[in-house]
Amino acid sequence: MESFFIRYRNVLVLLTLLVAQIVGLAVQVRRTSSGRNSLDPQDGPGVRLIRLWANAVVSPPERLIHQAKIGTATLWSQYIDLRHTQQDNQELQKTIDRLRLEQASLLEDAKQGQRLQALLNFQEKYIYKTVVAQAIGSSGSDQSRVFTIDKGSNYGMKPDMAVITADGIVGKVREVFPSTSQVLAINDQSSGAGVILETTRIRGILRGNAIGQPQIVGILADQRIQPGEKVLTAGGDLIFPRGLPVGVVEKIVRDPEPERDGFIDVIVKPAAHLDRLDEVLVITATESRFSPQQQQDLATSEALKGPEAAAIEEQKKASAIMAERLPGLIDPNLPQDQQPLLDSTNPNPVGRPPQAVHPDRFTPGGVNQAATGSGNPAASDSDKKTSTPSDSATPTKPATPQKKPQP
Amino acid sequence: MNTVRGDFRRDLEIRRYPLLVYAMTPLAALVLQAWLPRFLAGYAWFDLPLVVTIYFALVQRIPIQGTLMGAVMGLFEDALTGHAIGVNGIAKTVVGFLASSVGIRIDVDNHTIRLGLTFLLSLLSSAIYVGVYRVLLGLKLEWSWVIELIKCVANTLIALVLFPFLDRLQIRD
Repeated sequence: MESFFIRYRNVLVLLTLLVAQIVGLAVQVRRTSSGRNSLDPQDGPGVRLIRLWANAVVSPPERLIHQAKIGTATLWSQYIDLRHTQQDNQELQKTIDRLRLEQASLLEDAKQGQRLQALLNFQEKYIYKTVVAQAIGSSGSDQSRVFTIDKGSNYGMKPDMAVITADGIVGKVREVFPSTSQVLAINDQSSGAGVILETTRIRGILRGNAIGQPQIVGILADQRIQPGEKVLTAGGDLIFPRGLPVGVVEKIVRDPEPERDGFIDVIVKPAAHLDRLDEVLVITATESRFSPQQQQDLATSEALKGPEAAAIEEQKKASAIMAERLPGLIDPNLPQDQQPLLDSTNPNPVGRPPQAVHPDRFTPGGVNQAATGSGNPAASDSDKKTSTPSDSATPTKPATPQKKPQP
Repeated sequence: MNTVRGDFRRDLEIRRYPLLVYAMTPLAALVLQAWLPRFLAGYAWFDLPLVVTIYFALVQRIPIQGTLMGAVMGLFEDALTGHAIGVNGIAKTVVGFLASSVGIRIDVDNHTIRLGLTFLLSLLSSAIYVGVYRVLLGLKLEWSWVIELIKCVANTLIALVLFPFLDRLQIRD
């Protein structure tokens, strides 16, 4: 007997390991009510222990590498490469001013929406609290779109919390360890998020395909779905708050399963850069009220709304007056935003006339111009100004109309 | 292909490495496998832990060690994914066992043979992975043979660089 174990020890070790792993796999899979097998979303204690060990081994070096990279990048960007910083600051300040005004204008709608929801006894959830986290590692497998972030239960992370960026949703927290967490991205084959198409209001479930593209699976074919349509979170999955950007429709393909004729899959181009994630936000709390920070922002916007809005209104009025005084360059049949002067996409923009080879008294801007000849220098200045209306937003006095000489 | 008596080859040509190499190489493979895909934007079609498993199994020529190393590497890889734990474990357990068993019987100092073996064992690992996932577990998994072949070629190319480098780290009497 002893010689049997010694002789076949290699094969016995192999078989023992294989059987143990097969039994372990069988524990992790369960049969759903639809008759299909699926992975148990809740890991058992043994599985969780293995994940914890692997994470404890791999995460510290990953964190070290990531911090070294961040340190180098910070040193470069904050102490060495400071070109255009002043210009960037000015542009950002302008953006903040513009967004404050937009926020103030949306404030009334939001308040009205809250009042209506209260009447309907419906509680909209707002993002109340978020935690910033850095992506420090991935699953390392092209079949799995899971990545690791540097915040865990020590920072209040819990499973099924939504992970987003400023561009759009990213995924949800799958597994939480003391100092790190695993995030299941929306382009993983085992993920699932409730989404809605913005225009057609068609709802579906978003999950990834084999090559890591998120797709809305198993919806009825509909001619109205067109590439470019925005996809938003539907809010029904109790993970992602409603209305967050997911991406845009990239293309529509037929459902690959032959028995599901008439169904389509909608490939979505994600709004967030899922392959190049550095910093993400984990939504740790949603409430039916605005957060203190949001309320403070709204108060600031409200306070600034009056004077800034008045200034912008003045600018708009001045532009309108200027436009009225340029009858040849304004098409009354076109709306304001499609006028040739304002249309930056116009391939043939209205420009200055070419310089005359032999200027005469009728040449615009020439020394022998008719207006000058009439002894009215103000008219000449006025003509110059009105030829470039976009240069100034302030209204100018119109030039005195020139009377044609009577024969 | 040179074939000699297994015990003779094993006694004569078992390579030994510093303990640090045994500890750090698999760890480095796991860390790099988890870290590099972040910069390759979804084109991480390689399997460093598999290449390291094949290397140590081939040069050690001890099937139990190769089998255990394959199992541990595979389980750790599975643990970093959101998938079931054990799929990669089974694939790499088999690969580790086969590589060690083959290492006893053939001349693994020949670089061409080692690269050919790496390609074939990578292919076998992919086949076992897909087979376990779809047939044994009955789970839905979309996959592409083209990508699996690219992965095998990529593993072979990594082996082309990594094997000579690791050869230089062995303890020479």
